[in-house]
Amino acid sequence: MTLAARHLSLKAGARTLVDALELTLAPGEVLGILGANGAGKSTLLSVLAGLDAPAQGQVLLDGHPVLGLPPLTRARHIGLLPQGDEAGFFGSVSDFVGLGRYPFGESGDDVAPHLATWELAGLAGRSLATLSGGERQRARLAQLAAQQPDIALLDEPLTHLDPAHQARLLEWTRHRAESGHAVALTLHDPNWAAGHCDRLLFLHGDGRWQLGTPAELLNPASLEALYGPGTAALWRHAGLPLPV
Amino acid sequence: MAGALPDDRALALQILNELRGPRVAAAFACGGLLALAGALMQTLFRNPLAEPYLLGVSGGAGLLALLGMAVGLAWPWVSALAFAGSLLALGLAAAIGGRMLARDHTPLLLAGVMLAAGFGAMIALVLSVTPAERLPGMLFFLMGDLAWTSQPGWLWVALTGAVIASLGLARRLDVLQLAPLKAASLGVAVAPTRWTLFALAGACTSLVVAQAGSIGFVGLMVPHALRRLGLTGHRFLLPAAVLAGGCLLVLADALARTLIEPRELPVGVLTALLGVPMMLWLLRKP
Repeated sequence: MTLAARHLSLKAGARTLVDALELTLAPGEVLGILGANGAGKSTLLSVLAGLDAPAQGQVLLDGHPVLGLPPLTRARHIGLLPQGDEAGFFGSVSDFVGLGRYPFGESGDDVAPHLATWELAGLAGRSLATLSGGERQRARLAQLAAQQPDIALLDEPLTHLDPAHQARLLEWTRHRAESGHAVALTLHDPNWAAGHCDRLLFLHGDGRWQLGTPAELLNPASLEALYGPGTAALWRHAGLPLPV
Repeated sequence: MAGALPDDRALALQILNELRGPRVAAAFACGGLLALAGALMQTLFRNPLAEPYLLGVSGGAGLLALLGMAVGLAWPWVSALAFAGSLLALGLAAAIGGRMLARDHTPLLLAGVMLAAGFGAMIALVLSVTPAERLPGMLFFLMGDLAWTSQPGWLWVALTGAVIASLGLARRLDVLQLAPLKAASLGVAVAPTRWTLFALAGACTSLVVAQAGSIGFVGLMVPHALRRLGLTGHRFLLPAAVLAGGCLLVLADALARTLIEPRELPVGVLTALLGVPMMLWLLRKP
């Protein structure tokens, strides 16, 4: 399935975050979204997921406006990983992951493969509230994996994960893309973006946006335009190769 | 002597059928409704410490009921005023704090807490200017009292309806424990479901308050304790809360009637005396 943003504008109060965005997220693609804090990345994902209305324009799922889709139909095709807040959830890890099957009217009893993928099998019976931040993030990812959406929208999915699990997540996004689905994720590290995304969307937070391949967008000048003067040096000082 | 036994038996049967039986039935229904309302409120507010009176229901009911008692109205009118007061509190809370319910329940919560505080102050004002001979009845109402509940049939009808309605929502309520944005992404219509919960929990609580005053602790403790014991899925939690809440209130009412016979204690005192140690014991568990 294809998700398309047409002439999409987003606002936060009177401030325009994104102006007239044209974007098509096609099967087989991993799209990385980069931008400074408050640039509108999370807002864009919730609008793409059909959970919020844009200031202007529309989002289409295979040509149908997502805002007009029945909630369960939408949830069978589009999955969102928002930034975490499980304060009100009292159940076990297994119960939590099983909720990913809710859009399909299933009880979610058979989530063992997803627990195994995210190394949660040994924690299945534990209360979610007792997990560490990284374990909880893996449980959120397992829940989204259980939902098996055609379009997966991930808001800062690398948060709390150790490098090994970060790498596993990025492998998973590639696997989803190769099996005919689409993934969009927000992230901050240009190195991960260079190595794992097919295209990048830069949000400048003032309405401007840039869409291109990592080779086209990842250079010191564009990163400093995105994050502010001097920031490109951050990756150089860390001894990491800045991909250009 | 030969004729005395049948007479005693007839009297005992009469007491059972006309006094004890209806009161036990009413106690069970009230306890069940309160525990169900508490479980629904805890899910609505995503907080294990939420309870049925959080939205000012008992304050609104108490204020109007006390005003009725102060002017000497008979019980059916006092009960009707209590019901009207609880609906007034719910209506005010919804009007003031309900606009953001699709994403944020905090305004509704704050509106309820503020209303409860306001009603509490007005209740204190009414009590302070009421003649002393009318105070005991008022205090019993405020602390919860099942002495006036003689017609439990319709309470049972309400309980049955509320259980069926809430079980129909059970799986959706499991999802509603997640953050609103996540619940919406999984296909739950968050605002309509939250309004349904608000109406259902409010109706359950209003019915009990109008019939038996503000019986505390059942609605907070029973669902919370059951969750701590591992009953977290609503499919099991909700019926278990009804059973446990009903049994707790029957037990508390029996003790309230018999501990210092022939006088009665307010049943709300007993629910707290039974519930607090149980809750503290549960909190000590890892």
